[in-house]
Amino acid sequence: MKYLSEYRDGDIARGLVQTIRSVTTRCWVLMEVCGGQTHTIVRYGIDELLVDSVELIHGPGCPVCVTPLAQIDRALALASRRNVIFTSFGDMLRVPGSKSDLQQVRAGGGDVRVVYSPLDALEIARSNPAREVVFFAVGFETTAPANAMAVWRAKELDVRNFSVLASHVTVLPAMAAIVESPQNRVQAFLAAGHVCTVMGWTEYEPLAEKYRVPIIVTGFEPVDLLEGILLAVRQLESGRHQVENQYRRSVKREGNLAAREMVSTVFKPVDRSWRGMGPIPASGLALREEFVAFDAELKFELQNIAVAESDRCRAGDVLRGHLKPFECPAFAGECTPESPLGAPMVSSEGACAAFYNYRRHRTADGLKR
Amino acid sequence: MCLGIPGRIVEISNEGRFPMGVVDFGGVQRDVCLAFVGDDVGVGHYVIVHVGFAISVVDEQEANRTRELLTELVRPGVVGSAAEPGINRLARKPGLL
Amino acid sequence: MSAALIRDWFLPHFANDALEQLGDAAVVDLQSGRVAISTDTFVVKPLEFPGGNIGSLAVHGTLNDLGMMGAKPRYISAGFVLEEGLSLEVLDRILHAMAAASREAGVPIVTGDTKVVERGKADGVFINTTGLGEVDAGFAPAPNLGRPDDAVIISGAIGRHGIAVIAARNELGFDVDIESDSVNLCPLVEMLRMEVGDSVHVLRDPTRGGLASSLNEIAAASRVGIELDEARIPIPEPVTATCEMLGFDPLYVANEGIMVALVDGTAATTAVAAMRAVSLGGQATVIGRATAEHSGLVTLKTRIGGSRIVAMLPGDQLPRIC
Repeated sequence: MKYLSEYRDGDIARGLVQTIRSVTTRCWVLMEVCGGQTHTIVRYGIDELLVDSVELIHGPGCPVCVTPLAQIDRALALASRRNVIFTSFGDMLRVPGSKSDLQQVRAGGGDVRVVYSPLDALEIARSNPAREVVFFAVGFETTAPANAMAVWRAKELDVRNFSVLASHVTVLPAMAAIVESPQNRVQAFLAAGHVCTVMGWTEYEPLAEKYRVPIIVTGFEPVDLLEGILLAVRQLESGRHQVENQYRRSVKREGNLAAREMVSTVFKPVDRSWRGMGPIPASGLALREEFVAFDAELKFELQNIAVAESDRCRAGDVLRGHLKPFECPAFAGECTPESPLGAPMVSSEGACAAFYNYRRHRTADGLKR
Repeated sequence: MCLGIPGRIVEISNEGRFPMGVVDFGGVQRDVCLAFVGDDVGVGHYVIVHVGFAISVVDEQEANRTRELLTELVRPGVVGSAAEPGINRLARKPGLL
Repeated sequence: MSAALIRDWFLPHFANDALEQLGDAAVVDLQSGRVAISTDTFVVKPLEFPGGNIGSLAVHGTLNDLGMMGAKPRYISAGFVLEEGLSLEVLDRILHAMAAASREAGVPIVTGDTKVVERGKADGVFINTTGLGEVDAGFAPAPNLGRPDDAVIISGAIGRHGIAVIAARNELGFDVDIESDSVNLCPLVEMLRMEVGDSVHVLRDPTRGGLASSLNEIAAASRVGIELDEARIPIPEPVTATCEMLGFDPLYVANEGIMVALVDGTAATTAVAAMRAVSLGGQATVIGRATAEHSGLVTLKTRIGGSRIVAMLPGDQLPRIC
């Protein structure tokens, strides 16, 4: 596949690994922000190939993982209602709520449908005027323009049976929270390439400056990640701390202005609590006044909801990079993808799931680590 | 975070409210909304698609430049011996692992 | 109703002496020696897809299950549970495909059964096929006979059937140019038997759960480790592309027209050449080897030189965005 397969080229990747090893004089600590990047790293064994040169800490960039438990429970409540068609991205289906998950609700007769695009959900609403259609609008800034467009279009067409259960989070405040924490060990960030495709990177410049951390806007294929790591360690070795763009084929400094405009037309920044990490100021997006008729939380009066998180789940520590998944006592024992304690074991972008799928033997056999 | 896949625009329609395209991803085709890249694209361009929307146009010049640079980097002789891991003498692991 | 259905729709497709007698059972001849028997029930949605339908799948599937044990298939039975309201045109196409598959393989459908259930109680049609085959004492591959240093050989590219079926469901709005690979693999098995005989230790067609699941089962049964080389596994571009879009791993996607073989290391080259001589096996290639280490575990050397395990997959893969 063009512009994809080339970035999986074994020769180039191996060359980059050698270069990284040859320029590092110590082991640096890097964080890749996005779950998709974590997935690639673990799947291709990049962290093991670079074990003496960099330590990769896996960041909280998994929107499925950080969706608050209360929001999952609201989703389950809505999906169980007889007149509701509940639409969602496939990822959310097995995320555990306090007592159940969307897949179980579907098995019990709830009309839960997986969609690829929010516009598909809107189409379902237009084709089923007698039913209420709710779309679970989860995601980072990458997905916000698409979700915003669906709401904007619904308003334009006056589609009254469509609403969204919004759970949008933004990445920069989380990165700031991580680097501001007294226990922070992260010395450089690999920023999420598709978030930056939308948002650009201007907002990272003050962060790089204030905390003296290199921030490399990085793609998702093995060659992208290796090049990003190389740019990061070169900066660290020479004492620089700038924002640099590895994902040049997709990201421009100002991002995608049309997409950003759509997002700010429909959404406004709000404080948001991240599952496992607690409240992070101005880290969420909520619907603006003019679009409030499309807010499922208000429409269905679901504001107050009591939740019960597992007390054995260490997702918060994993998301903040304080714990590697295999260091969690429940990993691959009590907590598995079939019976997860928390979201990172179930989301295909979750760090726990990545280690379970690709590295489980390391702990099971007591081999290295 | 997000599954953004590059694909080639094979058809564009400007008839609806927004420009829509048919994008080919290595033999798989899907309708894609081009509202966020509208004025910059034509048939044959590559775009990055996320949840049914094109979020950027692939900068083919940059992509080619990167590829040339990287291929140059791994020419035999440019980098040191491929055999040994951990060439750096002063490596120290930060505790865990 | 049933008699007319059988007379007007089934019999015309499946003409053979045993079946036409319409006895309670078919009485057939088998050579003395060991007999292999395999049964499978097919529940596919949608019933028809590029490259086949539930009927051709049902015949090929049972022929292949017999072939994987080294047996030469001789007879098949077919049982049908039909949902009331099933289009007779669709049924006709299904039966036509079954008859064609049976004829092509030289394996007659000698007995069968049909039942009709109310609307909503079956997905159009469920089909069970049971096959009988003759086992040659000198050629009896089995899942537990794999040995360290066996070559792991695949007969063709992976992922086609699963993707063709997902695309045919058309629930996620994309078109993909791929056909199911459903086919009778017995000619390929026969070629292997002739050329390398009992150097073939294990044969398996990786259906539901894909290549990954089959290899895990073999590793466990044979108590060997298996190491794969990612760069050598053939995957058609549309399969890669669809898996990228939906977040699937091609290693877990169902196949209906390829087989994986564990062959003694010394016979690997001959085995691959034998398979490639048949058009079915044109893309046959060594993709890995069995090892005495990490018994029961399947590992993969990635394109870039790192490694990962290829675990058993819990549940079904789901399309994702993020």
